[in-house]
Amino acid sequence: MTRYFIKRLLGGLFTIWITTIAVTLLIHLVPGDPVQIMYAQSQSTTPEQIEQIRRNLGLDRPIYEQYIMYMGRVLQGDFGTTIRGNQPVLDLLLVRLPNTLLLAVTSLIITMVVGVTAGFFAAYKRGTWIDTTLMTGAIVGISVPSFWLGLMLISIFSVRLGWFPVSGTNLNNLVLPALTLGLANAASVSRLTRSSMLDVLSQDYMRTARAKGLAETLVLSRHAFRNGMINVVNMLGLQFTYMMGGAIVVENVFAWNGIGRLAIQSIFQRDYPTIQGFILIFATVVVIVSIVLDLLYAWIDPRITYN
Amino acid sequence: MTQQITTPTPPVAPLPSKNREFRRFLQVLFRSPGAKIGGVILLVTTIVAIFAPAIAPFDPLEMGVGSTLQPPSAEHWFGTDDFGRDLFSRIVYGSRLTLRIGLVAVFISMTAGVLLGMVAGYAGGWVEAVLMRGVDVLFSFTETLIALAAVAVLGPSLTNATIAVGISSIPFYARVTYGAVLVEKNKEYFKAAQAVGAKHFRLIFRHILPNILSPIIVVATVGVSVAVLSASALSFLGLGAQPPSPEWGAILAAGRDYFRRAPWVTTFPGLAIAITVLGFNLLGDGLREALDPQQRRS
Repeated sequence: MTRYFIKRLLGGLFTIWITTIAVTLLIHLVPGDPVQIMYAQSQSTTPEQIEQIRRNLGLDRPIYEQYIMYMGRVLQGDFGTTIRGNQPVLDLLLVRLPNTLLLAVTSLIITMVVGVTAGFFAAYKRGTWIDTTLMTGAIVGISVPSFWLGLMLISIFSVRLGWFPVSGTNLNNLVLPALTLGLANAASVSRLTRSSMLDVLSQDYMRTARAKGLAETLVLSRHAFRNGMINVVNMLGLQFTYMMGGAIVVENVFAWNGIGRLAIQSIFQRDYPTIQGFILIFATVVVIVSIVLDLLYAWIDPRITYN
Repeated sequence: MTQQITTPTPPVAPLPSKNREFRRFLQVLFRSPGAKIGGVILLVTTIVAIFAPAIAPFDPLEMGVGSTLQPPSAEHWFGTDDFGRDLFSRIVYGSRLTLRIGLVAVFISMTAGVLLGMVAGYAGGWVEAVLMRGVDVLFSFTETLIALAAVAVLGPSLTNATIAVGISSIPFYARVTYGAVLVEKNKEYFKAAQAVGAKHFRLIFRHILPNILSPIIVVATVGVSVAVLSASALSFLGLGAQPPSPEWGAILAAGRDYFRRAPWVTTFPGLAIAITVLGFNLLGDGLREALDPQQRRS
């Protein structure tokens, strides 16, 4: 277990390290002069100022020096400042990160509850109208764009029924974005759960459990559900990553003030320091959460040994 | 963009090669009601895209063909937008963009991903280690983040969004291909070909590639739906197609500002995306079942 933990940790650090390199290269892949592009909107910038900015960003140095400089600053918690307004990038991101995490975790709960329940019943009632209805719903669900689902929910629940505010960032406003993101992913989770449950239900121990006269509810809860859950728990890490990715879009539909909304704004403004910081924070969060969830998985399922 | 491909390497049989076998395959495929519906949806979408000028009653870009924000009527089936453009005509023309985006993006990710996966699986050793470790890292970033980073570099436009979406799925195709190559490499026909001294090029393209095509085709069919969703999300965010393009995500983005007054401007393009994507998903599911030897026995 300790060895597995260390291995996962090193793997995670490797991913983050690769990200720092990718993020440094990012600005150099931009066709044309990034400094010109960043300041294209403010015409008042003189050529001298442009050169000054280039020096401040270290873009006049060789690339390996830039990388060392960037890493040195990042390790000290300095992610640079925004192009417009000169605000510290890390502060901007950290203020918004809890909002994104709240949205992602709430959606993840909705995804798992709805998706697993639907998948479980579809598998248990295989071949019946319940199965057909649920799986038709699931394939329609994975085909609907999340931003459109969000807009439709707003028009029904906010505009017509007036139950929730249209947009904003507080607990009252969390319901619709979390439903949007949660339901969009529940569709695919229900498909995965169904096929994993079908495997479990056809196992010999299921037949044995029934043959020895165990009550059906016990057969399902003790034998089927528990074993089916192992695959579901294994999915959590990947699902969380999808929630983080999906949050970028959904935050923009509901004006939810998370890092995804900031990221899109900074792409519009060509604010590369913020984009770099966003990618780095996003990757770090995803890596940490998936390591934690993997350990949880190893702890829950004693059959698994990692050596 | 929250969509995800839920298909691990499916246990599928090689694509049927002979004409008669192929007909039999189509019979099995379209026996499933899902594949039938999917096929019809895609056929209709393709016809609409090809004959758009004949089907659309108005020019998709011409302003003031009706009064602004008119609800659906006999003259304007889907209503009009804030510039008085005919929404039905815009959506008809938009199908051309959607199909092009989906197919081009999948072509990019499939070509690059399959090459990467084949090289990694075939070469083994440090080449395999480096390539697949890189794929793992990319995988943990999610497609959304890769697509955003690519647009951030290239700048917002429809072409760049298509390229970005294409790049974002490369790791997925690389993994599927890599897995399939590892299986084929251990089969006897491959070892026999190797033993008689077939060259690398021949081994890869004449022996491995034809045998791993069918899982890749299944994944690519579902992949078009993922690509269409991702690209329309980018356009919706303003990072893809720009006004006045009749791209569906872009129409939705514009309609957002007045969607309380004119909900039809957001409803119809959303439906169009969902139905097209559904078509690819249904056909993809059907293909997987038809190519799955276990299902076929029943």
